[in-house]
Amino acid sequence: MQEMQEDRAPLKVTDIAVSYGGNKVLTGVSLEARHGFLGLIGPNGAGKTTLLNVISGYVRVDAGEVHIGARRIGKLPPHRIARLGVSRTFQTPKLIHELTVLENVLLGIDGRIPLLRPMPRSVTAHVRDVLGEFGLPPHQRASDLPLATMKLVEVARAIAANPIVMLLDEPAAGLSADEVERLVAPLRRLVRTSQLAVVIIEHDLELITQLCDRVAVLNFGKLIAEGAPGQVLKTPEVIHAYLGAQLAAVR
Amino acid sequence: MIRAGRYVPYAGIAVAVVAAYLAPTVTDRYQLFLLTWMAIYAVAGSGLVVLIGWTGQIAVAQAGLFGVGAYGTTWLVHLGAPWPVAALGASLVGTALGVLIGLPAIRLRGFYLAICTLAFGELLHQVFVQAVPITHGPRGLAVDPITVGDLDATTLIWYLSFGTLALVLAVLVPLGKSRLGRALKAVRDIEVATGSLGLSAANYKLIAFAISAFLGGLGGALFSQFITYLTPDIFELPLMVLFLVQVLGGGVARLSGAVIGAVFVVGIREVIQALSTPLPQFQGSGQSLIFGLALLLVVGFLPNGFASLPGRLLAFRPSSALRAADK
Repeated sequence: MQEMQEDRAPLKVTDIAVSYGGNKVLTGVSLEARHGFLGLIGPNGAGKTTLLNVISGYVRVDAGEVHIGARRIGKLPPHRIARLGVSRTFQTPKLIHELTVLENVLLGIDGRIPLLRPMPRSVTAHVRDVLGEFGLPPHQRASDLPLATMKLVEVARAIAANPIVMLLDEPAAGLSADEVERLVAPLRRLVRTSQLAVVIIEHDLELITQLCDRVAVLNFGKLIAEGAPGQVLKTPEVIHAYLGAQLAAVR
Repeated sequence: MIRAGRYVPYAGIAVAVVAAYLAPTVTDRYQLFLLTWMAIYAVAGSGLVVLIGWTGQIAVAQAGLFGVGAYGTTWLVHLGAPWPVAALGASLVGTALGVLIGLPAIRLRGFYLAICTLAFGELLHQVFVQAVPITHGPRGLAVDPITVGDLDATTLIWYLSFGTLALVLAVLVPLGKSRLGRALKAVRDIEVATGSLGLSAANYKLIAFAISAFLGGLGGALFSQFITYLTPDIFELPLMVLFLVQVLGGGVARLSGAVIGAVFVVGIREVIQALSTPLPQFQGSGQSLIFGLALLLVVGFLPNGFASLPGRLLAFRPSSALRAADK
């Protein structure tokens, strides 16, 4: 009875293994994301983006399972997984340049409504609210936007689809401090008022510490640490694998 | 909030409809013949705008599907179907074939897809040669002309072709701005992201192939009445290339490109014909040479086709050109 009442994690990844050719990219990775932000960090090539690709159905696993809520995704194609309530962004923003900001964001909802039904007004109103939160101009063409704003549009699109799991792949990379603030403040508000679980890949550890309740560290395809950011970032293994490399790069 | 720009296409169609109605009274037979030809190519070409321009699938089998529409309509009329039913039926057969041609597109892209569809177009041509009971093979097939009241054949096929084109554009213009149009452009520009947006790129590609093939078939149905005698070689490689030249020269991203391109390909043929009377060397391969040169000039100087010309002229400022030269 006790177990029944305990609510399920929106995202549960169990024992994932992925290899490209003979290269093991992920081995035995298990992870849960609940309401709030889960930071996913690790050096380049650690398998962070691959893990997002597994969750969103872009990469097939050799072993292991992904659950979205109660649903096992198995071999579902990406668009079916997205319709379960998974949205994501990419390292480089994927927008249709000839369309407006509003249209680009509505695109994230198109697949979730039967094709022949017109877009409900309530949906458009909701999208405008989200754009308002991020301070984005609905009628500007995407081609006229600077890169940082394009990244904001992509995050707005991911969140406007009302997902239960949102995967952000380096949303702050290439953004100035001001621009990061424009991204983080509304993101925080929107996540706080929802049940959304966010997995965020980010190299900016200050941002991770600020934003995330939990952080998971990948190194060479293995999960080497998980927990509260303050603790995890002090683990010797993590310092060696990740921070050490960064510090070395600074020196 | 009224945006006047939204109504420009509809106003354009309205003006064109009136002009089209009056066309038989202000043009001679030959001019009307050329206008009809343009309208028919524009119908088939608008299908390619949907497929190539909106969805980004380089497919070249349109000539074959054009042939399916032409032969299919003629055959169904022979079997006793009324012409509109035959035309619709043949176009739907073309649509089914179009979806079949589209299946490889789920995996292939770019040049590989182009070659694959080219093979399919050639296969259809072979079918036209071999399916003697239906097509009469290389001997050719005479088309029963349709009659409506006491309209002469030239005027009738003009009204029919223009009416079809107007209808096609009246459907496609809003379609391009609809959710479907948006999804097709997503397949073209950000295919990798479509899955994560909940859109099945495979399904939308097949929808685009279906729309394009239907319009190819519909163009062919009209063409059969226009040309009145069908032989398989009409629907061979040169016509595949011609349709590509039409939409690339006209501007593949916009529907107006299909119309302008049709004017371009039919018009330039006329120019070459006119030149070849005093200059016989322009016949035969000379025609292809001029055709190729014209295309080279268009693609070189107007990569987005003639349809982009007004926008480029409006955007042109001598000062900005100077600034660009400074960089």
